[in-house]
Amino acid sequence: MTVTLRVAAEVHNLAAIRRFIQETGAALDASASAIDDLVLAVDESATNIIKHGYGGQLGDIEIEIWREAEAVVVRLRDQAPPFDPTRVPDPDVTLPLDRRPVGGLGVFLTRCLVDAITHRLTSQGGNELTLTKKANAHSVISQETPHEHDQ
Amino acid sequence: MNITVSQHAGRVPVTVFHITGDIDTTTYERFQAQAQQAHAAGMRNLLLDLAEVPFVSSAGIRAINNIFNLLRTDAPGESDEAMRAGLRDGTFKSPHLKVLNPTPRVLEVLTLAGVDMFLEVHRDLKTALDSFGGSAG
Repeated sequence: MTVTLRVAAEVHNLAAIRRFIQETGAALDASASAIDDLVLAVDESATNIIKHGYGGQLGDIEIEIWREAEAVVVRLRDQAPPFDPTRVPDPDVTLPLDRRPVGGLGVFLTRCLVDAITHRLTSQGGNELTLTKKANAHSVISQETPHEHDQ
Repeated sequence: MNITVSQHAGRVPVTVFHITGDIDTTTYERFQAQAQQAHAAGMRNLLLDLAEVPFVSSAGIRAINNIFNLLRTDAPGESDEAMRAGLRDGTFKSPHLKVLNPTPRVLEVLTLAGVDMFLEVHRDLKTALDSFGGSAG
């Protein structure tokens, strides 16, 4: 079963995109943790398409989601100028906040949250970004909270 | 996203932003602007109550970063050198910006982004308020 959402590439549609991933992820029997990770990864990817890909121009984003054996796969397609987020370097999150370069954080989070990211240009000249996540994934980081300061 | 503001007098005055809703690409500017307005009006210490925030994206993380920088002072404990050394040792925490009750999900995102390295995370309002104005601040 592949479920598809097609929306205008506008930031006010991000909440609907998150809801779509939440609901279809549950229908595809993904774990709550896997769904949460995909929701943020897809939000970040769609935000990049809207803000940096189309950059204010009109356009659509098509999002497909399906189950593939033990994984959930989400594919985002757009007709924006070519942009390959897999080539964006990671920000140095150990730097003090005011020393960090602007940008790159969304792509960094996406890399942390999914198991695989691939990008290709479609024959129509648009971008196709594919995010793969293990359906039964647990939290990507430990739930222990060593930095908490009180009980 | 909505922000309810409360003021608390303790060792030092502390402003609390009780935030409800997502901090994402569509809301982070409002969040940041409200902090900037409060700072212009004299706010120096801010506690972010995130108990009712189900979702934070990288835009929200950047807003938190910017608010951290906004509240940073030229006190010796907040100098570039002190901050760098403290981050290396895991001892630096902002004396002016702290977080209260993030959901496990939001805490996970703060941790992935490295924000928890310099923001104290509290689970109790009174303890959080009492922690402001200590030796570091």
